[in-house]
Amino acid sequence: MRERELVLAAQRAEPAALREIYIAYHRRAYNLVLYSLGDPALAQDVLQVVFLKVFRGLASFRFQSSLATWIYRIAHNECREHHRRLKPPIVPLEAVLGSADEVDPKPSSHDLHARRERDLIIQRAVMELPVKMREAVVLKYVEGLSYDDMARVLGCAPGTVASRLNRALAELEERLRPFKRLL
Amino acid sequence: MIPYLECWLPASESARLEQHLVDCDSCRSLLVRLRAGHQMAQRLAALPIEGGSASDFEFGLAALEAGVSAAGTHPSVWRDRLERLATPRMVTALSVLVLLQLGLLVVSNRGVLLGERSRVSVTRDAVNFREFRRLSISELKSNTQPHVSTEGYVEDVHTDEEEGTVAFKLVESPQNAESFVVCEIMSPIQIAPPRAGTRIRVYGVARYDAQNDRNWNEVNPVLSIVPLNP
Repeated sequence: MRERELVLAAQRAEPAALREIYIAYHRRAYNLVLYSLGDPALAQDVLQVVFLKVFRGLASFRFQSSLATWIYRIAHNECREHHRRLKPPIVPLEAVLGSADEVDPKPSSHDLHARRERDLIIQRAVMELPVKMREAVVLKYVEGLSYDDMARVLGCAPGTVASRLNRALAELEERLRPFKRLL
Repeated sequence: MIPYLECWLPASESARLEQHLVDCDSCRSLLVRLRAGHQMAQRLAALPIEGGSASDFEFGLAALEAGVSAAGTHPSVWRDRLERLATPRMVTALSVLVLLQLGLLVVSNRGVLLGERSRVSVTRDAVNFREFRRLSISELKSNTQPHVSTEGYVEDVHTDEEEGTVAFKLVESPQNAESFVVCEIMSPIQIAPPRAGTRIRVYGVARYDAQNDRNWNEVNPVLSIVPLNP
């Protein structure tokens, strides 16, 4: 079903349309929420709230952006509220892996498990970034949004998005520098 | 710099950036860091996400469907809460708080409002402003040098507290507002924002913003501001 028809059907509270919206977008919204909050169980709970707001807010959706952008914006706002209320802790990279000197030397490049472990180091480092930078990185590198769409989701100018991404990448490089020999 | 790393910067802008990199050590080392960060971040897309199994989402969807059908035509919980909060007494209290905040802001920034000379926390010996190319605003269009100074009248000062940035327009003259450059003061560089209507000289890095609704010259970041006589 095309997006416009899907939204109009959902605005009429047709269960099949609501289900289709959830199936189409829950994974993408979950990515953003998980990276923002850092905890899978918490992300699941918040995701439910997000989609409750999506379904209840559909009546006021005016097609001024794509549905995905609108849903991301709700998810982003919900995470921001959550951060204000509860400040969920992020476990630092060193607490999980030890210092760079303590981590095992780089194993064989043919070891799939080891490659995944190295990639998880990067994921964990992203989780450590300040929330605004983390969200910018996720929206760009995981969800593949344009600067304009990212600006709409985050409620700021595209120039601000670019600035946040620059700072995020510089900070990511700095955090991962001690682990460079492993990556 | 990310558009440059992803090779979708227009050729003229790439050339301009590369020319800048020839002369600017700090930007070159920043580009190296950004390239490393960019390469690492690109690996995120392929990573599986912890949690969020199919059964988790099916369970979630069932719960949502139950919640939505139970809610029916009942008014939104959030609308109810908002209506209870927005009493006349609460609105008055919030207004008083906002006015108090504004008053404190004015008192703590009276130096800036009175047009005091800007303070720059960048170490003087780290930047030699005499080496900055002095140009008029209209000459910036054809400039290829990274470090420039230009002067004009301040308009449209906009502060973004969250991002720690101050943006303003510098126009050639109040009668010729079409010839302008957009300037941005970015943290951690600490420069007091200029007052609208004043005439100043700015020193900073020359850029061009080629986004669709922009296409303008910029001095970004601004490294120093010197007030001038009107």
